[in-house]
Amino acid sequence: MAKDRLHVRLPRAGPMAPAERCGLCRQTFFCGRGHVYSRKHQRQLKVALERLLPQVEAARKAVRAAQVERYVPEHERCCWCLCCSCEVRKHLSHGNLTVLHGGLLEHLASPEHKKATNRFWWENKAELQMKEKFLISPQDYARFKKSMVKGLDSYEEKEDEVIKEMAAQIREVEQSRQEVVRSVLEVGFSRRSQSTSGSARPRRGLFGTWKLERDKQKLKKLPPDRVGANFDHSSSTGAGWLPSFGRVWNNGRRWQSRHQFKTEAAARNKQSHKEKRLMIS
Amino acid sequence: MRPRQAAGSDQSKKKGRGRTDWRSIPKMSFLLPKLTSKKEVDQAIKSTAEKVLVLRFGRDEDPVCLQLDDILSKTSSDLSKMAAIYLVDVDQTPVYTHYFDISYIPSTVFFFNGQHMKVDYGSPDHTKFVGSFKTKQDFIDLVEVIYRGAMRGKLIVQSPIDPKNIPKYDLLYQDI
Repeated sequence: MAKDRLHVRLPRAGPMAPAERCGLCRQTFFCGRGHVYSRKHQRQLKVALERLLPQVEAARKAVRAAQVERYVPEHERCCWCLCCSCEVRKHLSHGNLTVLHGGLLEHLASPEHKKATNRFWWENKAELQMKEKFLISPQDYARFKKSMVKGLDSYEEKEDEVIKEMAAQIREVEQSRQEVVRSVLEVGFSRRSQSTSGSARPRRGLFGTWKLERDKQKLKKLPPDRVGANFDHSSSTGAGWLPSFGRVWNNGRRWQSRHQFKTEAAARNKQSHKEKRLMIS
Repeated sequence: MRPRQAAGSDQSKKKGRGRTDWRSIPKMSFLLPKLTSKKEVDQAIKSTAEKVLVLRFGRDEDPVCLQLDDILSKTSSDLSKMAAIYLVDVDQTPVYTHYFDISYIPSTVFFFNGQHMKVDYGSPDHTKFVGSFKTKQDFIDLVEVIYRGAMRGKLIVQSPIDPKNIPKYDLLYQDI
């Protein structure tokens, strides 16, 4: 019996075989899965695997060197897993960050995918050596997770650097702006003093006021709930003034420490006077 | 005792590669201002604004004070934006020596905007730092922690210094 290339007779195959649809060939067959050996099927299989392979390879590269990027909607893209016949999200996103290839790697390392891949290889009679290429071992996945953590950390560091640079730039710009203002003020004043000779205030006056204003601005920027925010630095104090101090042997609020000290001092003075009188007498 | 020479006279080795490496230029250790009366201490406390005030109580010729003063003066320029440092002679300010319960020298007290800043060093006294710092970095870290705490409204902060580097002493019981 001449072997029909297209229809290999298998013991199970027969006229009563159920109709099966082959997803790869997109055809319905009535002879069981014998068609898998056909050239057409194998060709379709090869093409499909070749389409999937680069995606898997790209993901595999990320195992050692995970890449973290800022999230863009493009990261929602999926790819089709041939073995599991399902859509798989390529990347792993959380918040505003994306770990590239994270989604696919997670899927490729899953036991379900492994099972499905084995089944797919068996059913479609694909090349055995190729199968490994479409699997990610649990060890590799663990490696990926480690590299992902590293990638996330370095991304954070980079972001911090960028922010610092931006802050430095802003400071520079602000600085040069203040220089401009200062020079304008100085020029403006000297012109004024020329026109109204005789009634000029000392040149430092206007610049001094401007400096005062700037210092006031700086003060406003400080946190209002900082320690001693309402401390009057310019108050004149007498010889008996004592700062607010939490003493070592003080049991109570700080203002009491001043009071306690003054009582102690009085007691000490009394004692020393008594001793002096005793010595003299 | 003669004041220590400012560091820098024998360390001026610039990297001769055209561009000046600013990091290699030795930093001058400034002579720290000294306070010798209650009035001067009062003035320092009142006038230091938005910076940590560091008051070192001690005697210039005491060896531990010398060690501490060296660290203070070498770090003063780096800390100039955050701190103002003064050396106070204990013998000439008896009121403060008593008020601050100074039993050992050197004792370093911290203020911010006229308010006393306490620090938990893991030692019995949180009101002052007793002894010298082991390294310049210890002192710098401490000032930074105090500054940040003060900006957040805290009157007591946790010391960042390794407890191993904190000098040990017994708290003298003051007869009240």
